[in-house]
Amino acid sequence: MVFNSLTFIVFFACVLALHALPLPWTAKKANLLVASYLFYAAWNPPFVILLWVSTIVDWYAALGLVRAQRPAARRAWMLLSVVVNLGMLAWFKYGNFLLANFNALVAPLGVQWQAPHYDIVLPVGISFYTFATLSYTLDVYLRRATPARNFLDYALFVTFFPHLVAGPIMRPTELVPQFEQPRRATAQMLRFGLALMTLGLFQKVVLADALLAPAAEMVYDGMGAPGALDAWLGTLAFSGQIFCDFAGYSTTAIGAALCLGFAMPDNFRFPYAAVGFSDFWRRWHITLSSWLRDYLYIPLGGNRHGEARTYGALMATMLLGGLWHGASWSFVAWGGLHGLYLAVERWLRGRFAGYRPGTLALFMLALLTWTLVNITWVFFRAKGFEHAGTVLGGMFGMNGAAPPILPTSHVVPVALIVAAIVATHWWMRARTLEATLARTPAIVLSLAWGLMLFAIVAAQGTGSAFIYFQF
Amino acid sequence: MHETRPGFVRLTAADRPGVAQPVPERDIPAQPWGRIWIGALLLALALLAWWELHWRAFGATPSYRNSDGQWAVERRRVAAADADTVVLVGDSRLLFDVQLDTWERVTGNRPIQLAMEGTSPLPVLEDLAADPSFTGRVLVDVAPRVFFGNSSRRANVADYARRQGPSQRSGTWLSMHLLEPYFAFLEPDFALAVVMRRQPIWPKRPGLRMRTPVRKLADREVDRNTYMWHKLVDDPAYRELARSIWAEEFDRPLRGMDTPEATRAAVDAQIERTAKAVATLRARGVRLVFVRPPSIGPYLEWEEKYLPRATT
Repeated sequence: MVFNSLTFIVFFACVLALHALPLPWTAKKANLLVASYLFYAAWNPPFVILLWVSTIVDWYAALGLVRAQRPAARRAWMLLSVVVNLGMLAWFKYGNFLLANFNALVAPLGVQWQAPHYDIVLPVGISFYTFATLSYTLDVYLRRATPARNFLDYALFVTFFPHLVAGPIMRPTELVPQFEQPRRATAQMLRFGLALMTLGLFQKVVLADALLAPAAEMVYDGMGAPGALDAWLGTLAFSGQIFCDFAGYSTTAIGAALCLGFAMPDNFRFPYAAVGFSDFWRRWHITLSSWLRDYLYIPLGGNRHGEARTYGALMATMLLGGLWHGASWSFVAWGGLHGLYLAVERWLRGRFAGYRPGTLALFMLALLTWTLVNITWVFFRAKGFEHAGTVLGGMFGMNGAAPPILPTSHVVPVALIVAAIVATHWWMRARTLEATLARTPAIVLSLAWGLMLFAIVAAQGTGSAFIYFQF
Repeated sequence: MHETRPGFVRLTAADRPGVAQPVPERDIPAQPWGRIWIGALLLALALLAWWELHWRAFGATPSYRNSDGQWAVERRRVAAADADTVVLVGDSRLLFDVQLDTWERVTGNRPIQLAMEGTSPLPVLEDLAADPSFTGRVLVDVAPRVFFGNSSRRANVADYARRQGPSQRSGTWLSMHLLEPYFAFLEPDFALAVVMRRQPIWPKRPGLRMRTPVRKLADREVDRNTYMWHKLVDDPAYRELARSIWAEEFDRPLRGMDTPEATRAAVDAQIERTAKAVATLRARGVRLVFVRPPSIGPYLEWEEKYLPRATT
């Protein structure tokens, strides 16, 4: 189920009530586990089996890793976990993509084989929970962590509903210890958790779905080639939409966990104020970028084996990171472009090691970073390379006198909202939300919270899925 | 959990490469959250009460939303229908024109309303053809503009109904039982962003030909029995507004049908698809009636110019 649905409101109220009952801690955890399976099954019940497969394989793989003495045996247990998890991901997410590319590859060799197209439904959140369970076995394999003391804590770590389908991608060491001791949210935690959930849903329902998505759809899903203003505004609308959609999900998830007494990590840190791309990836989808760094980039050699190997590892990580988002070459191009940006930035940092920008230069560099990030969003949003080329052509004035697409009732709100997002990120770039809220007068918080609640209801969202569910 | 620490910027996994990540820390800002909560709730309730009263003063009354979920509920009723059940398939003409109460009074049977505004009946007809359990009767609305133009405003709804998960079903149930019968503001035409965009404050962008979004036209009952909204019937200004929105489209052919050859090809393609679905349904003993709704005024002029009766 999605957070922005009536079903979730009823579900969450029941979970909060159950969690507040004077039951033994083990019973409370069992309740949370069952609730989390219900949360997942409410979308498509049979796919809970995949969750169980992933959970059980990694539980036994981690136990095997602890018992194994020989390096080869340890490696075998680790590979079992990797093959099962990535195998499921490959079949459900990349099956048709791989077959289509195989077809395209063998056709020039004269092999006239047409692979069947399977009508495969992508299990929601599979990319997220396979990465979470993989981190469990990989941390044990890398001797960074010991296995959970009991199966219930471990299964709840995998399945805990706030993070299950769209992150933040949790590590076992972040969550399992929280299940070992009884926890209960204080009244302050509950109220602040609800405030965070309101903020997250406001971002999703009002900003992303109601105000920004329609403009992006008119430009990207319309028939005509966009002119410069429409191409830029459509892309900026999407850049705002995807941030509000995904950061909104993460904020709601963090708030939901807080209401139950658990802490989840930040997944976004005001990314549109990033200065440079390494900074951007320390602020955008932090739990994925750090996962890729720890389990892909560093094992590939990281920056420990010379410049050439570093650049190679960087590009491989970003290309695979792009592919993680979807089975399409345009996602690979999106990742590749980010990899290229990171490589260029690395080279420039080496070349101008002593350069320390002033405030104005810093702001201009942030603006340049944001502009280049927006160009990558074209590949993320467009329906293939040809379409991306058309939109990019529009952004750089190559579509001539294309007829206008967006009316001013979209142009003005998109421009204002995107400007407000960027200004807020710049203002908050070295602050936390909590520190800012602590200094804000209570009456202002009350007014803002009340207005957001009203706007969420009056926007009449249709319960549309979060963009990252498809990944 | 901590109280807020001044100057503290929380570390994340981004700051700790290659190590086991510790239990995250979250701060709770030192604020009277209880009082803030109550104030926010009171404000939100006051605003919602004002919003509801505003739309009631405008003439709205609680009505069921014309949602995909409600359509799916009716589509599932088809599975339990017997051979005498009539299923209505079409666009807004059939949706607004057929009063289920009247039909039931005359025939003794209440039909299942599956017509959808701005949507060709073909996807639903094909969906029924692909459903071997369906053996009822079908009334198909052939409004030329929508039928031959293959309008697809809600063409995916049959697919939605097939794939609808438990949480979507329960969401529809909750909405139809706890919200829709009681609140007039729950209507897409009254959604905050929609209201904002139709304010007269926005200057016209040179060269942009925009179609004005269709306004609220109807009210619905729980089984999609749909009737014209009393404001449309009784308020001449609102009626004229609704008519003028339709008239925006009467000065040109449909997209992709701007030559006689293209029109012929599009019409033939629709007829071919229809014939295929009809053959499948008739093979199962399903009886079908096709009805072309009457038209007058500018609508008729448009039809005679671009989709004349003689060729369609």
